[in-house]
Amino acid sequence: MTTHANWWYGGVLVLVVLTVLLALMAGTVWIGPAQVLHALGQPNSQAFVTVFSLRIPRILSSLICGGSLAVAGALFQAVFRNPIADPSILGISAAADFFKLGGAMLLPWLPGRNWVMAMVGGLVALAILTSGRALANPYRLIIVGVALDATFVGLQQLLSSGATTISHSTFNGLTWGDTTTLLILGVLGLAVALVIAPWANYLKLTDSALQNVGVPVSVIRWSLLLLGMYLAVSVTAVVGAIPFVGIVIPNIARRLVGHDYQTVLPFSMLAGAWLMLAADTLGRTVIVPSEISAATMMAVIGGPFVIILLQRGRGFHGMSTR
Amino acid sequence: MECQRVSYHYPRQTQGLTDLTGIFPPGKVTTIIGPNGAGKSTLLKLLARQLAPQTGQILLNDHPLEQFAPKEFAQQIAMVTQHHQLYDEMTVREVVATGRLPYHGLLQAVPAAEVTPYVTAAGLTSLADQMIQELSGGQQQRAWLAAALAQEPSVLLLDEPTTYLDVRYQQQLMTQMRRLAAKGLTVIQVLHDINQAFRVSDWLWLLQEGRLVTTGTPDQLRDADLLAQTFATQVEIVDVPRLGPYIVQLPE
Repeated sequence: MTTHANWWYGGVLVLVVLTVLLALMAGTVWIGPAQVLHALGQPNSQAFVTVFSLRIPRILSSLICGGSLAVAGALFQAVFRNPIADPSILGISAAADFFKLGGAMLLPWLPGRNWVMAMVGGLVALAILTSGRALANPYRLIIVGVALDATFVGLQQLLSSGATTISHSTFNGLTWGDTTTLLILGVLGLAVALVIAPWANYLKLTDSALQNVGVPVSVIRWSLLLLGMYLAVSVTAVVGAIPFVGIVIPNIARRLVGHDYQTVLPFSMLAGAWLMLAADTLGRTVIVPSEISAATMMAVIGGPFVIILLQRGRGFHGMSTR
Repeated sequence: MECQRVSYHYPRQTQGLTDLTGIFPPGKVTTIIGPNGAGKSTLLKLLARQLAPQTGQILLNDHPLEQFAPKEFAQQIAMVTQHHQLYDEMTVREVVATGRLPYHGLLQAVPAAEVTPYVTAAGLTSLADQMIQELSGGQQQRAWLAAALAQEPSVLLLDEPTTYLDVRYQQQLMTQMRRLAAKGLTVIQVLHDINQAFRVSDWLWLLQEGRLVTTGTPDQLRDADLLAQTFATQVEIVDVPRLGPYIVQLPE
């Protein structure tokens, strides 16, 4: 890793710490640094409830979700050899959301229902995406993905018009239980991602070049793809679909810390965590006492980013993945 | 390495290979020549196991190719192609390191000490940390060749290795092939330049429309009538001072 990259790592770490401190204090009620420290020693105070039961779970959740989504995006980009591939744009997250809602209506007794159903949805979307000719061409992949996304969003709206629970994709109201689930799922997935990060580098080679050096292409491709899906779907299961983190962050990471996934993935993890926390903190403080959901914040930030990326950047360097 | 009655036809296409039988002498440079569409690259893909023969078999050290496990195979046969092999940026060192993958587990890192000798031998030390995409065609070629040699293969396959090289690099590369063969490496290549093929090879395979016309040494195959028939053009062999026999294709 270059010293150049080290500086960016340091910078993003400082940003994370500062934003966490800010997020502890800011909100409907401003709680100063002294009051935060004081409150943590007094479990019965209102400030303690606000900080410990509301803000800390929310901060931890947005950090782990942002890290997971950014890494999921980076993995998808490596597998599909396409800089804007990401579980949200390819319909994986929408499918997970739809199945989650379907599960809530049809299988309320299922243990771990949200996560199980979201995983089923992710697998269904992945199966559709990787069958047929979508993989033959990077443009076709994105178009099929966008169509898949629109379909599942539509289906979800169809289903939810009669239901009482609608997915908001917000960190508002997350409990310590939700946070713990997110932490376990996320830390597990992110740890595996760091271990198999070199595989993402291998996929820069063509399939025939990989076969020539005896690397089992299908094994590494599916491992990375399923891991990316798992990370994105785990976020969807608890919070809902949040777009664009997985596109914005890895593309910035590549520009700042280089092309090696062994540095791109950890950096994406940190930067994604920061972006999600910053977006959520901003969303819940700009129009106090109301708030803007994290998904909306990311759509507003991420949409223009992708447009700029495609208008000015290298655009698609991906080729067929088969 | 040898082919025994090997046939391969692409689905829905007339092109393909029919009933090829012949050897690739070990420790020699063998060049596959023939007109366009003769099946030269298809044969190379079969040897690289990127395609499987539909009938017949290809033997390496008396074992059919399909019996080798992927890593085992990659330790025996390496291939350098002219086709684009990368989707994203990689440094020269990283490219060369891929040649060591057959010797490591999927989760093991390739130690730098295993890579450096091949980078040095290829004369790429000063370029090691540059992106391969930033290098000239000749330098890229050297990096990919270094990666192939890092596989420590017994057979090296080259698909039109001189296509994008200027004359000086072409000669350097061919000299290197001769040196490697002298050390025991079996080199099998496809070349477009027929005179180059006759000059650098120990053994030639002459293909035409998917069939093996003949194999032999350059001296055996340097026959104007044979070449005229195979390439469907008038051929004359002239003696060029200080160069020797030179095959000239005459205009119709």
